[in-house]
Amino acid sequence: MRESKQTQIPKKKKAKEEDLTATPASSISSEEKKHKLKELDDFMEGVLEKAGEEFLDEFKQVEGE
Amino acid sequence: MSIPKMVGIEEEYALHMQGDHGLTPFQASCTLINAYARKKGLRAPGTKLLWDYGHETPFNDIRGPLFGKITGQEVISEEDNLRINTVLPNGARLYTDHAHPEYSTPECLSARHAVACDKAGELIIREALAAQRDLAPWLNVRIFKNNTDYQGHSYGFHENYLMEAEPHEECFVRNPDKALRSFVPFIVTRQLFAGAGRIGSEKPRDPLIPYQISQRADFFEAVFGLETMYSRPIINTRQEHHADSKRFRRLHLILGDSNMSEFAGFLKIGSTQIVLQMLEDDFLTADLTLKDPVSALRKVAEFDLRLELADGRTISALDIQREYLRKAEKYCQSGVGPQIPDAELILQYWQYALDGLEQLKLSKDFELLDDPFQLTRRLDWVTKLWLIQRYRQGRNLAWDSQTLRIFDLQYHNIEPKDGLFWHLQSQGLVDRILDDAEITLCIKEAPPDTRAYFRGKCIEKFPKEILLINWEVVGFDHGDTHRMIPLLNPLKGTKEQFEDVFDRCADSRELLAMIKA
Repeated sequence: MRESKQTQIPKKKKAKEEDLTATPASSISSEEKKHKLKELDDFMEGVLEKAGEEFLDEFKQVEGE
Repeated sequence: MSIPKMVGIEEEYALHMQGDHGLTPFQASCTLINAYARKKGLRAPGTKLLWDYGHETPFNDIRGPLFGKITGQEVISEEDNLRINTVLPNGARLYTDHAHPEYSTPECLSARHAVACDKAGELIIREALAAQRDLAPWLNVRIFKNNTDYQGHSYGFHENYLMEAEPHEECFVRNPDKALRSFVPFIVTRQLFAGAGRIGSEKPRDPLIPYQISQRADFFEAVFGLETMYSRPIINTRQEHHADSKRFRRLHLILGDSNMSEFAGFLKIGSTQIVLQMLEDDFLTADLTLKDPVSALRKVAEFDLRLELADGRTISALDIQREYLRKAEKYCQSGVGPQIPDAELILQYWQYALDGLEQLKLSKDFELLDDPFQLTRRLDWVTKLWLIQRYRQGRNLAWDSQTLRIFDLQYHNIEPKDGLFWHLQSQGLVDRILDDAEITLCIKEAPPDTRAYFRGKCIEKFPKEILLINWEVVGFDHGDTHRMIPLLNPLKGTKEQFEDVFDRCADSRELLAMIKA
């Protein structure tokens, strides 16, 4: 997968076009997608802001499985 | 011949408390569980519904007493039992494990149902959070469905698969080479599509590890073993089968990541069901024994897909998965073994994921260069990588930046107002395989095709009559006597068998009388 490793991965099969149609495909238009991505960027900024400075330190878990 | 690969999931959630409220995480988790139990009427006066720990043997090893640990059984008071546990009418258990909330799904026959039940768990805990906020608005708790806190602690996603006693004994006790040859290579490389992705590594590394496919890989140190909190094994050998152990065994897998993506979760469980069924039916003949499975687990997580086999050959992790897929296709056409629910869809998604991974191109700095199969919409580790790349672009952020770690964690926040995955889903930026209605149903009702149906119906209809309950028993308090109904066959106690009985009986005494008749 990683470009530097690409040559090490033997390719047995080529992807087929019908494989793509056989799975759930995106029905979002490019204009709508652009809008959603802008909203995503805003959401990410909001997430950062809300998390606060102590977030990572406070996240420490008590282990148990 | 194999038996259906019934599956149950134990999902351990991270609990984050903002600020110091004088509560320990254990207390906060118990508050959460009880807020939900109260809301659902499971703490009404006179209701006991205790969790029965009598059948839990976490220190017994399937390989015999030499491998196990000697420990005294802890006695827990009724008050503490109720503080920690609640068992729900959907057949699930919601409880506090050590210091975090845990949701154990009811037993499911299909991967699709298992994912729906796991997703129902997310919504139940979200509702518990809302109930907790009503009771204690000052307590700022957030819940995350992930597997690492970036401070050396991991909490798991545990899978439990029903196996027939004889092949389980053969593969995991008498002849573990068989498991090493035929099952371990699959489970080690399964992260290619089932990994949840994470930034960095658990211990500082030189050179720095920017990103890994799996959240859990860094925490594994053994192939077989009993532990779950240190020296974690790829195959957990706990002897605790929760069924008639002469006929059934439980395979307890603790190495999976928690998936937010329905596609990844479905493929993870579905492919494992097929591989285990092939293992039971002796359908896996190729020897893919890895030279060092633990090292291979970490290598794959770090995008080093070239793996060494015990016989000296090298093979890519993708080709190992291709080999299993090729056999699975043959197996599903062969008519050997019971029919696997949604087998065709599992195979189709498996092929799609492997083709997509083969075409996925990443730069040396882990930029997504090409994703022709849109795995960003389907596999958690790719989706998360894409999100992080999106934020890093133009900001010149290093991979060990704290900001990126916040995004990594917030991807798994279960609340839509803060959770990155849930935001993506609400915007249609990730693909789904389930309907909301399917998930909602799993909040209310137990799966109809396993013993979970019987357990769930007892809780729904007679909560005040139940003294104790666990996976394999329902115990009623009839005043002068306690009556236990064993559920030792996990494939019995289904809706088909008992719907009519539950419709006709007014209380648990009548239920027992009808069963006896």
